[in-house]
Amino acid sequence: MDLIRKLHILADSAKYDVSCVSSGSSRENTPGGIGSTFSGGICHTFTTDGRCISLLKILLSNACTYDCAYCINRISNDIPRATFTPEEIVDLTINFYRRNYIEGLFLSSAVLKNPDYTMELILKTIKLLRIENRFNGYIHIKVIPGADSRLIEEAGMYADRMSVNIELPSNAGLKMLAPQKSKEAILGPMGYIRNKILENRDDIQRAKKPVYFAPAGQSTQLIVGATSDNDINILKLSEALYKQYNLKRVFYSAYVPVSNHPALPKLTKPPLLREHRLYQADWLLRFYGFRANELLTNEHPNLNPILDPKCDWAIRNLHHFPVEINKCSYNMLLRVPGIGVKSAKRIIDARKVSTLDFEDLKKLGVVLKRAQYFITCKGKYYPGIKMNEDFIKGNIVADGLKTLLKTKNISYGDYEQVSIFDLLQGNKSDLGSCVNFNNTISIGVDIWKYVYDSLTSGRESIKKQLKPLLS
Amino acid sequence: MVCYTYDGSFEGLLTAIYEAYYRKEKPVKILQEENLQPSMLYTYIHIATDIEKSQKVYNSIMEKISEDALDNIYHVFLADREYERGTIIYNYLRLGWKIGRNIDLHLSDDRVMKVLKIRQRVEREVHRMMGFVRFSLVGGNIYYAPIEPDNNILPLIAPHFAERLSDQKWIIHDKARELAALYNTRDWLIVEADLGKIPIIDAGEKHYRDLWKEFYNSVAIKERYNLSLHKKLLPVRYWRNLTEKN
Ligand code: SF4
Repeated sequence: MDLIRKLHILADSAKYDVSCVSSGSSRENTPGGIGSTFSGGICHTFTTDGRCISLLKILLSNACTYDCAYCINRISNDIPRATFTPEEIVDLTINFYRRNYIEGLFLSSAVLKNPDYTMELILKTIKLLRIENRFNGYIHIKVIPGADSRLIEEAGMYADRMSVNIELPSNAGLKMLAPQKSKEAILGPMGYIRNKILENRDDIQRAKKPVYFAPAGQSTQLIVGATSDNDINILKLSEALYKQYNLKRVFYSAYVPVSNHPALPKLTKPPLLREHRLYQADWLLRFYGFRANELLTNEHPNLNPILDPKCDWAIRNLHHFPVEINKCSYNMLLRVPGIGVKSAKRIIDARKVSTLDFEDLKKLGVVLKRAQYFITCKGKYYPGIKMNEDFIKGNIVADGLKTLLKTKNISYGDYEQVSIFDLLQGNKSDLGSCVNFNNTISIGVDIWKYVYDSLTSGRESIKKQLKPLLS
Repeated sequence: MVCYTYDGSFEGLLTAIYEAYYRKEKPVKILQEENLQPSMLYTYIHIATDIEKSQKVYNSIMEKISEDALDNIYHVFLADREYERGTIIYNYLRLGWKIGRNIDLHLSDDRVMKVLKIRQRVEREVHRMMGFVRFSLVGGNIYYAPIEPDNNILPLIAPHFAERLSDQKWIIHDKARELAALYNTRDWLIVEADLGKIPIIDAGEKHYRDLWKEFYNSVAIKERYNLSLHKKLLPVRYWRNLTEKN
């Protein structure tokens, strides 16, 4: 098989792994070596679906012996199979790197023969790169669940980042859809890598010439929409992974229908909006000081498709607002919709030399359209704003709906199509008949209920605002 | 009203700012000589570049304002499609000499925000171009890359590639400005260059280009196709020099 064909097969099979970041490591070039890493990561190009391409992301092999139902490479699937030699991967990596196509290599693999055999080939490849070719670019490798810990330990000395993919966010999901993988086979290596990284941190401080172990940390991926797990399960899992396993990133991947296994949902489109909301919520956990159980509760187990998670939190917690821009703490500023990390920092800086009004906030990059309901400047509300629940909810939900209507291709699980019109009427029984309605959005049923509930107040004013759009 | 003009060099601009403090005729604008669109409302005075005077301004910025401020104005200077950049820098520095090192806290002052916004724009492009530069291996074992950036960013990206691709000879050619950064495996420098004829691509080079295109096309997920997002992240004006887009 020629190299182009192989590359086609093994890039195509690797594409559903969404993580492609090259951040978190700052490896400098060595004399006579090639490459360096850039701690913020660099995107070299973007796919036509708008994802960053930073690394040569390929599988070593797609000839899997396992049979995970959600996976395109499962043994029972009838697709062309290919396997790279370590030398071929090295040649591609170096030559792509010299042309500045990529930041480095992201090497993953299906289980070829058995986990140890596969892991050994991965190890051989990255040793060839680092030792023989003195390659100092970014290397991210996937740890094959079930591989011997000695192999994992050695690989960590050459890789910048390691990841073990959890894929299915619950044990039940794993049992049903990935019968050959156990929770232990996934969390075991994760814990092992965490301990190694922590040990390594101490060693580095003591050693003169330290050997780094996965300096960019570890990450994982969760598939969204292949099982019936709620957003709260997913987000709580992520929170625990950040806290207990020190993960650098959890990636969410909207399930792309690649199989008609009876236990999998019949999706026509991947639930991209849900994936997007999870990323937003994840962001709030990592940089905004939110906890998962503030964003979601057992009564509200799913993220709101209409509003971003911060807005949704804010309208459920109106008693915290309004806050005075010239006094309120940095942490509270971060909780105001329309204020991001950058603008919060700017506010703190600018406050030191002057008292801010609404005009100033605009210049500092605050999105007043959102923030206006939640803040005062010098004790005053934004002109025209009423501090009453119906008014605020009505306006914010209407804005959210307007944005959704403008976005094409939104889907939230695709279980059922719901028209905006019905959403406002609260007309559940008519759901079936509105599939062809012009302004439809696709929402999972339970999510739909949630939206309906959050609309009970302010519904009249929303309807009024949306009328011109719907007619 | 008076407008100073300078020769387009950073030193020239600093000299003009020096003169603005010592001459009787105070300028309301400082513009670059080249591409000047004269207006009958202004009296134009050309300021000749004087390295010593520019050095004095340079030192004064470092001492009386801050190193950050110097960095800020250098970035704005490289935004060479910003017609008023000389004036913007002049206004910012005047405020800086009044306020001192805290100048960048005055974010609600337009003179400050303008400078910081332009700097951000230039930095964004620098970061983008670290990724978007595409080298081809041409004759003489040289890696050649054409670029056409919005800002004059060669001096900001050359050090990155000199570190990263330190063992290969390379040229990054800014076709829009006819400038080129050259690197010989030890040092880099920027020269004026009209590399009219682009070296020919041989079979070995084509092999890797084809592989790269194959990879690029294979990783897109058709169920997620989103052209408007794609164009936002990878603006069309950069496509011409991207191997995978040709
Ligand atoms: S082990 Fe990995 S590659 Fe193999 S079927 Fe399961 S998910 Fe797919």
